[in-house]
Amino acid sequence: MKLAFVEKLSELATQDWRIVLLTGDLGFQIFDGFRTEHGARYVNVGVAEAQMICMAAGLAHEGFRPFAYSIASFVTARCYEQVKLSVAYPGLPVVIVGAGGGYAYGASGVTHHAGDDLALMRIIPKMTVVAPADASEARQLLPQVLDLDGPCYFRIGRGCEPQYSVKAPCVLGQGRLLFDGEDVAVLGTGEVGYEVFSAVQKLREHGIFPVAYQFHTVSPLDNDVLEALATGVSTIIIAEEHVDAGGFASAVREWLSKRNHSTRVIGLGVPDLLPLGNPTQSEIRSRYGFDSESIAAAVVRSLDLSRRHFWHSTLHHGRNRVSC
Amino acid sequence: MPMRPNEIALFEHKARQIRATSVQMAHDAGIGHVGSALSCVEALLALFYHWLRLTPGNIGSVERDRFILSKGHACASLYSILADRGFFPRQWLHRYGEMDGPLPDHPCKHALPLLECPTGSLGHGLGVATGMLYGLRLRGVPARTAVLMGDGECNEGSVWESAMFAAAQGLDNLLVLVDENGIQAVGRSAEIMGHTSLEEKFRAFGWGACSVEGNHLPSVLAALDRFPLENGKPSAVILRTTKGAGVSFMEDQVLWHYRVPSDEDLRNSLRELRAAPLHLCESA
Repeated sequence: MKLAFVEKLSELATQDWRIVLLTGDLGFQIFDGFRTEHGARYVNVGVAEAQMICMAAGLAHEGFRPFAYSIASFVTARCYEQVKLSVAYPGLPVVIVGAGGGYAYGASGVTHHAGDDLALMRIIPKMTVVAPADASEARQLLPQVLDLDGPCYFRIGRGCEPQYSVKAPCVLGQGRLLFDGEDVAVLGTGEVGYEVFSAVQKLREHGIFPVAYQFHTVSPLDNDVLEALATGVSTIIIAEEHVDAGGFASAVREWLSKRNHSTRVIGLGVPDLLPLGNPTQSEIRSRYGFDSESIAAAVVRSLDLSRRHFWHSTLHHGRNRVSC
Repeated sequence: MPMRPNEIALFEHKARQIRATSVQMAHDAGIGHVGSALSCVEALLALFYHWLRLTPGNIGSVERDRFILSKGHACASLYSILADRGFFPRQWLHRYGEMDGPLPDHPCKHALPLLECPTGSLGHGLGVATGMLYGLRLRGVPARTAVLMGDGECNEGSVWESAMFAAAQGLDNLLVLVDENGIQAVGRSAEIMGHTSLEEKFRAFGWGACSVEGNHLPSVLAALDRFPLENGKPSAVILRTTKGAGVSFMEDQVLWHYRVPSDEDLRNSLRELRAAPLHLCESA
């Protein structure tokens, strides 16, 4: 996805003089092509994320569309105040690119984990938060975020993510339908979209047909899809490479609660802990239960549970009726 | 160009008038930071009456010079000078600190769109200026940018990230004025910074730098006339100033970083300054 991102950006920059790419001294060799093609519109700011974000704000103020790139944990948490005050407060169109969002750099240890990036970015007012699943989604979303009139966080993977192929196009702000289905909905965001896709593919082979969406846009949420799901399914399962608190599942819970929907939400992500021991990304996904097997198992469990609920409520309802 | 005697007299009066206005505004609004506003009056006068190619007439033009008050808490004197220069009506000065008004106690671009950026949290302005200048260079526009910072602000690590970048990129259209009044929110800057020199720090970071008496307008003007201090480098002018300059009982007092002038403080200040606040003059 990283390469797809930079190739697409370079292509867009050929037609759009406003695009400037800043890096906080990361992205070894991947920007060589962009640099050759666009010269001074590539800037290695150095290991200086606060400076990179403030500089991006200054560029945006002068009419440019800067993309500020670093590892997700460094470009969100380390320079948070610069993002909040120099970019978001004046509402400048800066795209903050977080590479290896979630736990893509799991084996590098807690310093490189960004299991809080979606939460940090989505609570900033008017910040569009985007997390494509694969190279294709990144390519489709990039030109769309260029049209935004405000700041954007663009989470990309570390590289070599598996790709899926679905008919629905990737439209900023809209959930992308992966599979139509019923009873249970499974939503993913970021690279976990592929885990959702694989899980539902397997379930369908066994006669279980949950509806599945990829929410590449975490903020703003797709009201139409959520409204349809809130009234159309009993359970929404949300898988994300993120801590439980504050991320995509949290956003959906807030959305449902504000509208008095009682739809059950099951969040699959990392619990309230720091994953110590330098586990790999795939180990983190399986250990904390949001790889494709875990997602499929959660769907099966939720169906069992909803059937039990169905019987319980029927019996309970029947007894009440008798007693009346 | 050296100032003529009548110009010096005119600006000495102007400085006292800006100070009187700032103290009046702080008193009326119940807002502190008056000591910080008073120490940088000469810096703002030198910028807005001499160095900056920025007028109410060219505010929308890409060729205009940019100015960022990075020590945003000192905005009372900036607002006074902007009003005096005709960027907005003097009567607005009555609205300092007013809810939903144009002049909040930390500058907000939404409230006052003519500002380049909002400030209030320290250590942002210089970085934003480097982005502006880099962008202007890409566009081939020779406009300059001035940033006024505090010495306390220079505690922030982000200032030095930006300083390193500006020198590495040779942003020689960048002027930084550091209001070295020696006092920050709750202590003396020299003690906090280990009695080290800001001028030497900027030089070590690859800037042209000099130090001048910052509450002596001819000295400030002379320093700005040497811009750029060194060809191909950004310039830092360290202004040795006095916190609360111009009002004896506020001068060099940590207390006057936050203290709001009482009725008596206001009366005594205006008596010492021998000038009427701009927005209370008959011509206002």
